[in-house]
Amino acid sequence: MKANLKYFAGLAMVAMFTGCVSGPGPVTVGGSDDFGRLSTKIEPQDIRETVEHMTESLLADPGVLDATNGERPVLDIELMKNKSQMIVDMKSITDSVRMRLIRSRQFRFVDRSTAGADIAIMDEQQQLGLTDSRKAVRAGRQSAAQMYLTGELTEMSQQVGRVTDRYYKFSMILKDLRTGEIVWADEKEIQKRTKRPLL
Amino acid sequence: MKTIAAVFAFALAGTVLTGCHTTAGTTVVLNHDNGQSLICEGNTRLQNNLAVTGVTYDKVPNGLNRVNIQLTSLVQKDQHLQYRISWYNSEGMEIDAGTRTYRSLILHGQDSVTVTGVANNPAAVKSRLRVREVRSLY
Repeated sequence: MKANLKYFAGLAMVAMFTGCVSGPGPVTVGGSDDFGRLSTKIEPQDIRETVEHMTESLLADPGVLDATNGERPVLDIELMKNKSQMIVDMKSITDSVRMRLIRSRQFRFVDRSTAGADIAIMDEQQQLGLTDSRKAVRAGRQSAAQMYLTGELTEMSQQVGRVTDRYYKFSMILKDLRTGEIVWADEKEIQKRTKRPLL
Repeated sequence: MKTIAAVFAFALAGTVLTGCHTTAGTTVVLNHDNGQSLICEGNTRLQNNLAVTGVTYDKVPNGLNRVNIQLTSLVQKDQHLQYRISWYNSEGMEIDAGTRTYRSLILHGQDSVTVTGVANNPAAVKSRLRVREVRSLY
Protein backbone atom coordinates (compact mmCIF):
# COMPACT_ATOMS: atom_id res chain seq x y z
CA MET A 1 0.00 0.00 0.00
CA LYS A 2 2.85 2.32 0.92
CA ALA A 3 4.58 1.51 -2.36
CA ASN A 4 1.41 2.40 -4.31
CA LEU A 5 1.16 5.70 -2.50
CA LYS A 6 4.75 6.46 -3.48
CA TYR A 7 4.01 5.82 -7.13
CA PHE A 8 0.91 8.00 -7.06
CA ALA A 9 2.87 10.77 -5.37
CA GLY A 10 5.53 10.47 -8.04
CA LEU A 11 2.86 10.62 -10.75
CA ALA A 12 1.34 13.73 -9.19
CA MET A 13 4.78 15.36 -9.21
CA VAL A 14 5.26 14.59 -12.93
CA ALA A 15 1.83 16.05 -13.74
CA MET A 16 2.55 19.12 -11.67
CA PHE A 17 5.87 19.88 -13.29
CA THR A 18 4.78 19.22 -16.87
CA GLY A 19 1.24 20.59 -16.93
CA CYS A 20 0.85 23.40 -14.45
CA VAL A 21 3.62 25.85 -15.28
CA SER A 22 2.46 29.37 -14.51
CA GLY A 23 3.45 32.48 -16.44
CA PRO A 24 4.59 32.55 -20.06
CA GLY A 25 5.57 29.14 -21.36
CA PRO A 26 8.53 28.27 -23.54
CA VAL A 27 8.72 30.08 -26.87
CA THR A 28 8.54 27.90 -29.96
CA VAL A 29 10.29 29.10 -33.09
CA GLY A 30 8.56 28.25 -36.34
CA GLY A 31 5.64 29.04 -38.57
CA SER A 32 2.27 29.83 -37.10
CA ASP A 33 0.89 27.01 -39.24
CA ASP A 34 2.53 24.39 -37.05
CA PHE A 35 -0.39 24.38 -34.66
CA GLY A 36 -4.17 24.43 -34.74
CA ARG A 37 -6.13 27.60 -34.15
CA LEU A 38 -5.74 29.30 -30.79
CA SER A 39 -8.68 31.71 -30.64
CA THR A 40 -11.84 32.85 -32.42
CA LYS A 41 -10.06 35.95 -33.71
CA ILE A 42 -8.41 36.28 -37.10
CA GLU A 43 -4.96 34.76 -36.73
CA PRO A 44 -1.85 35.00 -38.92
CA GLN A 45 -2.53 31.51 -40.21
CA ASP A 46 -6.04 32.55 -41.35
CA ILE A 47 -4.52 35.45 -43.26
CA ARG A 48 -1.89 33.27 -44.93
CA GLU A 49 -4.56 30.78 -45.99
CA THR A 50 -6.76 33.57 -47.32
CA VAL A 51 -3.97 35.19 -49.32
CA GLU A 52 -2.99 31.85 -50.84
CA HIS A 53 -6.60 31.00 -51.66
CA MET A 54 -7.24 34.36 -53.34
CA THR A 55 -4.08 34.42 -55.41
CA GLU A 56 -4.51 30.82 -56.59
CA SER A 57 -8.11 31.56 -57.55
CA LEU A 58 -7.04 34.63 -59.53
CA LEU A 59 -4.19 32.79 -61.26
CA ALA A 60 -6.52 29.95 -62.30
CA ASP A 61 -9.30 32.16 -63.62
CA PRO A 62 -9.56 32.38 -67.43
CA GLY A 63 -11.52 35.65 -67.37
CA VAL A 64 -8.46 37.79 -66.65
CA LEU A 65 -6.55 36.62 -69.72
CA ASP A 66 -9.69 36.90 -71.87
CA ALA A 67 -10.05 40.55 -70.86
CA THR A 68 -6.47 41.38 -71.88
CA ASN A 69 -6.26 39.21 -75.02
CA GLY A 70 -3.65 37.00 -73.44
CA GLU A 71 -1.24 39.78 -72.42
CA ARG A 72 0.08 40.22 -68.90
CA PRO A 73 -2.33 42.78 -67.45
CA VAL A 74 -1.21 45.85 -65.53
CA LEU A 75 -2.99 45.96 -62.18
CA ASP A 76 -3.33 48.31 -59.27
CA ILE A 77 -4.52 47.27 -55.83
CA GLU A 78 -6.66 49.27 -53.44
CA LEU A 79 -6.10 49.01 -49.70
CA MET A 80 -8.49 46.30 -48.49
CA LYS A 81 -11.24 47.55 -46.18
CA ASN A 82 -11.82 46.22 -42.71
CA LYS A 83 -15.52 46.13 -41.82
CA SER A 84 -15.04 43.75 -38.92
CA GLN A 85 -14.77 44.67 -35.24
CA MET A 86 -11.24 43.32 -35.08
CA ILE A 87 -8.11 45.35 -35.53
CA VAL A 88 -6.41 43.81 -38.56
CA ASP A 89 -3.48 45.22 -40.51
CA MET A 90 -5.16 45.40 -43.90
CA LYS A 91 -2.09 47.03 -45.48
CA SER A 92 -0.10 43.92 -44.72
CA ILE A 93 -2.74 41.66 -46.30
CA THR A 94 -2.95 43.91 -49.37
CA ASP A 95 0.85 43.83 -49.73
CA SER A 96 0.91 40.04 -49.39
CA VAL A 97 -1.65 39.58 -52.18
CA ARG A 98 0.31 41.89 -54.46
CA MET A 99 3.63 40.24 -53.62
CA ARG A 100 2.35 36.76 -54.45
CA LEU A 101 0.83 37.92 -57.74
CA ILE A 102 4.03 39.69 -58.77
CA ARG A 103 6.09 36.60 -57.95
CA SER A 104 3.84 34.49 -60.18
CA ARG A 105 5.05 36.66 -63.12
CA GLN A 106 1.54 36.63 -64.58
CA PHE A 107 0.70 40.23 -63.66
CA ARG A 108 2.37 43.63 -63.72
CA PHE A 109 1.61 46.19 -61.03
CA VAL A 110 1.69 49.95 -60.70
CA ASP A 111 1.74 51.57 -57.27
CA ARG A 112 -0.06 54.86 -56.84
CA SER A 113 0.98 55.13 -53.21
CA THR A 114 4.56 55.98 -54.26
CA ALA A 115 3.56 58.40 -57.04
CA GLY A 116 4.71 61.37 -54.92
CA ALA A 117 8.17 59.86 -54.57
CA ASP A 118 8.29 59.19 -58.32
CA ILE A 119 7.61 62.85 -59.09
CA ALA A 120 10.14 64.03 -56.52
CA ILE A 121 12.89 61.83 -58.02
CA MET A 122 12.06 62.96 -61.58
CA ASP A 123 12.10 66.61 -60.48
CA GLU A 124 15.50 66.11 -58.87
CA GLN A 125 16.85 64.50 -62.02
CA GLN A 126 15.63 67.45 -64.09
CA GLN A 127 16.53 70.31 -61.79
CA LEU A 128 19.58 69.50 -59.69
CA GLY A 129 21.90 69.18 -62.65
CA LEU A 130 23.49 65.97 -61.39
CA THR A 131 21.85 63.66 -63.93
CA ASP A 132 22.70 63.43 -67.62
CA SER A 133 19.71 65.21 -69.17
CA ARG A 134 19.50 62.61 -71.95
CA LYS A 135 19.14 59.84 -69.35
CA ALA A 136 16.81 61.67 -66.97
CA VAL A 137 13.36 60.10 -66.74
CA ARG A 138 10.56 62.40 -67.80
CA ALA A 139 7.06 62.33 -66.40
CA GLY A 140 4.21 61.06 -68.50
CA ARG A 141 5.64 57.73 -69.58
CA GLN A 142 4.48 55.40 -66.82
CA SER A 143 2.20 52.44 -67.45
CA ALA A 144 -1.47 52.78 -66.73
CA ALA A 145 -3.41 50.28 -64.68
CA GLN A 146 -5.90 48.38 -66.83
CA MET A 147 -7.61 46.75 -63.86
CA TYR A 148 -7.65 47.12 -60.11
CA LEU A 149 -8.11 44.77 -57.21
CA THR A 150 -10.12 45.64 -54.15
CA GLY A 151 -11.45 43.70 -51.20
CA GLU A 152 -12.91 43.76 -47.73
CA LEU A 153 -13.16 41.80 -44.51
CA THR A 154 -16.56 41.45 -42.85
CA GLU A 155 -17.58 39.72 -39.65
CA MET A 156 -20.71 38.26 -38.08
CA SER A 157 -20.95 36.73 -34.64
CA GLN A 158 -23.65 35.18 -32.53
CA GLN A 159 -23.76 33.77 -29.04
CA VAL A 160 -26.12 31.04 -27.91
CA GLY A 161 -25.64 30.06 -24.29
CA ARG A 162 -22.00 29.22 -23.77
CA VAL A 163 -21.31 28.80 -27.48
CA THR A 164 -19.96 31.71 -29.53
CA ASP A 165 -19.81 31.51 -33.30
CA ARG A 166 -17.69 33.94 -35.30
CA TYR A 167 -17.89 34.14 -39.04
CA TYR A 168 -15.42 36.13 -41.09
CA LYS A 169 -15.48 36.67 -44.81
CA PHE A 170 -12.71 38.00 -47.02
CA SER A 171 -14.00 39.02 -50.44
CA MET A 172 -12.06 40.41 -53.38
CA ILE A 173 -12.97 41.63 -56.86
CA LEU A 174 -10.96 42.56 -59.95
CA LYS A 175 -12.50 45.30 -62.03
CA ASP A 176 -11.63 46.24 -65.62
CA LEU A 177 -11.18 50.03 -65.75
CA ARG A 178 -11.96 50.32 -69.46
CA THR A 179 -15.24 48.42 -69.45
CA GLY A 180 -16.24 48.77 -65.81
CA GLU A 181 -16.88 45.03 -65.69
CA ILE A 182 -15.96 42.81 -62.78
CA VAL A 183 -13.57 40.30 -64.31
CA TRP A 184 -13.02 38.09 -61.26
CA ALA A 185 -14.43 37.77 -57.76
CA ASP A 186 -13.92 35.31 -54.95
CA GLU A 187 -14.38 35.01 -51.23
CA LYS A 188 -12.92 33.02 -48.39
CA GLU A 189 -15.00 32.16 -45.35
CA ILE A 190 -13.55 31.49 -41.93
CA GLN A 191 -15.85 30.13 -39.25
CA LYS A 192 -14.78 29.68 -35.66
CA ARG A 193 -16.63 28.33 -32.66
CA THR A 194 -15.74 28.42 -28.99
CA LYS A 195 -17.52 27.07 -25.95
CA ARG A 196 -17.10 28.84 -22.63
CA PRO A 197 -16.20 26.44 -19.82
CA LEU A 198 -18.88 25.76 -17.25
CA LEU A 199 -16.72 26.98 -14.34
CA MET B 1 1.69 -5.41 -7.60
CA LYS B 2 4.63 -3.04 -7.30
CA THR B 3 5.68 -3.78 -10.86
CA ILE B 4 2.19 -3.21 -12.28
CA ALA B 5 1.82 0.11 -10.47
CA ALA B 6 5.26 1.20 -11.68
CA VAL B 7 4.41 0.31 -15.28
CA PHE B 8 1.13 2.26 -15.10
CA ALA B 9 2.84 5.27 -13.55
CA PHE B 10 5.57 5.23 -16.18
CA ALA B 11 3.06 4.89 -19.04
CA LEU B 12 0.91 7.73 -17.73
CA ALA B 13 3.94 9.99 -17.28
CA GLY B 14 4.97 9.16 -20.84
CA THR B 15 1.52 10.12 -22.11
CA VAL B 16 1.65 13.42 -20.25
CA LEU B 17 5.05 14.24 -21.70
CA THR B 18 4.45 13.21 -25.31
CA GLY B 19 0.67 13.67 -25.78
CA CYS B 20 0.69 16.17 -28.66
CA HIS B 21 3.50 14.86 -30.79
CA THR B 22 2.91 13.70 -34.35
CA THR B 23 5.23 12.20 -36.89
CA ALA B 24 5.42 12.97 -40.62
CA GLY B 25 2.14 12.62 -42.48
CA THR B 26 1.14 11.52 -45.95
CA THR B 27 3.03 12.90 -48.95
CA VAL B 28 2.07 12.84 -52.63
CA VAL B 29 4.76 13.83 -55.13
CA LEU B 30 3.72 14.43 -58.73
CA ASN B 31 5.93 15.13 -61.72
CA HIS B 32 3.86 17.26 -64.12
CA ASP B 33 6.19 16.57 -67.03
CA ASN B 34 5.64 12.81 -67.16
CA GLY B 35 2.69 12.26 -64.80
CA GLN B 36 4.60 10.00 -62.41
CA SER B 37 3.28 10.13 -58.87
CA LEU B 38 4.61 8.75 -55.61
CA ILE B 39 2.65 8.36 -52.39
CA CYS B 40 4.56 8.09 -49.09
CA GLU B 41 2.77 7.36 -45.83
CA GLY B 42 4.93 8.18 -42.84
CA ASN B 43 2.36 8.13 -40.08
CA THR B 44 0.71 4.82 -39.23
CA ARG B 45 -2.40 6.37 -37.69
CA LEU B 46 -2.94 8.70 -40.65
CA GLN B 47 -2.29 5.80 -43.03
CA ASN B 48 -5.14 3.87 -41.39
CA ASN B 49 -7.49 6.87 -41.40
CA LEU B 50 -6.81 8.44 -44.79
CA ALA B 51 -6.30 7.24 -48.37
CA VAL B 52 -5.17 9.07 -51.49
CA THR B 53 -7.79 7.95 -54.02
CA GLY B 54 -7.00 10.09 -57.04
CA VAL B 55 -4.34 12.34 -58.53
CA THR B 56 -5.02 14.44 -61.65
CA TYR B 57 -3.20 17.40 -63.15
CA ASP B 58 -3.67 19.99 -65.87
CA LYS B 59 -2.73 23.56 -66.73
CA VAL B 60 -4.71 26.71 -65.96
CA PRO B 61 -5.36 29.09 -68.91
CA ASN B 62 -2.20 31.12 -68.32
CA GLY B 63 -0.07 27.98 -68.53
CA LEU B 64 0.66 27.39 -64.84
CA ASN B 65 0.47 23.80 -63.62
CA ARG B 66 -2.42 22.69 -61.43
CA VAL B 67 -2.80 19.52 -59.35
CA ASN B 68 -5.97 17.96 -57.93
CA ILE B 69 -5.65 15.26 -55.27
CA GLN B 70 -8.60 13.34 -53.86
CA LEU B 71 -8.39 12.31 -50.21
CA THR B 72 -10.83 9.80 -48.70
CA SER B 73 -11.53 9.15 -45.06
CA LEU B 74 -11.36 5.51 -44.00
CA VAL B 75 -12.97 6.07 -40.61
CA GLN B 76 -16.37 7.16 -39.28
CA LYS B 77 -15.22 10.13 -37.18
CA ASP B 78 -14.31 13.61 -38.43
CA GLN B 79 -10.62 14.29 -38.94
CA HIS B 80 -8.97 17.66 -38.41
CA LEU B 81 -6.07 17.82 -40.84
CA GLN B 82 -3.75 20.31 -42.48
CA TYR B 83 -2.32 20.15 -45.99
CA ARG B 84 0.27 22.06 -47.95
CA ILE B 85 1.14 21.92 -51.63
CA SER B 86 4.63 23.10 -52.50
CA TRP B 87 6.18 23.41 -55.96
CA TYR B 88 9.60 22.54 -57.36
CA ASN B 89 11.47 23.42 -60.54
CA SER B 90 12.98 20.93 -63.00
CA GLU B 91 16.16 20.75 -60.91
CA GLY B 92 14.21 19.72 -57.83
CA MET B 93 14.61 23.02 -55.97
CA GLU B 94 11.58 24.35 -54.11
CA ILE B 95 10.19 27.57 -55.57
CA ASP B 96 9.53 30.36 -53.06
CA ALA B 97 10.36 28.02 -50.19
CA GLY B 98 8.64 28.94 -46.97
CA THR B 99 5.85 30.96 -48.54
CA ARG B 100 3.43 28.07 -48.88
CA THR B 101 1.27 27.59 -45.85
CA TYR B 102 -0.54 24.65 -44.28
CA ARG B 103 -4.27 24.95 -44.88
CA SER B 104 -7.00 23.58 -42.63
CA LEU B 105 -9.01 20.60 -43.79
CA ILE B 106 -11.89 18.98 -41.95
CA LEU B 107 -12.56 15.58 -43.44
CA HIS B 108 -15.90 14.13 -42.37
CA GLY B 109 -16.31 10.42 -41.69
CA GLN B 110 -16.10 8.25 -44.84
CA ASP B 111 -16.15 11.41 -46.96
CA SER B 112 -13.89 12.44 -49.85
CA VAL B 113 -12.48 15.86 -50.65
CA THR B 114 -10.36 17.11 -53.51
CA VAL B 115 -7.60 19.55 -52.67
CA THR B 116 -6.26 21.73 -55.47
CA GLY B 117 -3.04 23.65 -55.87
CA VAL B 118 -1.94 26.07 -58.58
CA ALA B 119 1.76 26.59 -59.23
CA ASN B 120 3.10 29.94 -58.14
CA ASN B 121 5.60 30.21 -60.97
CA PRO B 122 5.89 29.09 -64.62
CA ALA B 123 9.05 27.14 -63.71
CA ALA B 124 7.15 24.85 -61.33
CA VAL B 125 7.02 21.33 -62.80
CA LYS B 126 6.76 19.15 -59.71
CA SER B 127 4.26 19.38 -56.85
CA ARG B 128 4.37 17.89 -53.40
CA LEU B 129 1.30 17.55 -51.18
CA ARG B 130 1.83 17.02 -47.47
CA VAL B 131 -1.07 16.06 -45.21
CA ARG B 132 -0.71 15.94 -41.44
CA GLU B 133 -2.84 15.84 -38.34
CA VAL B 134 -3.45 19.08 -36.49
CA ARG B 135 -1.25 19.59 -33.49
CA SER B 136 -2.52 21.37 -30.42
CA LEU B 137 -0.37 23.94 -28.63
CA TYR B 138 -2.03 22.99 -25.33
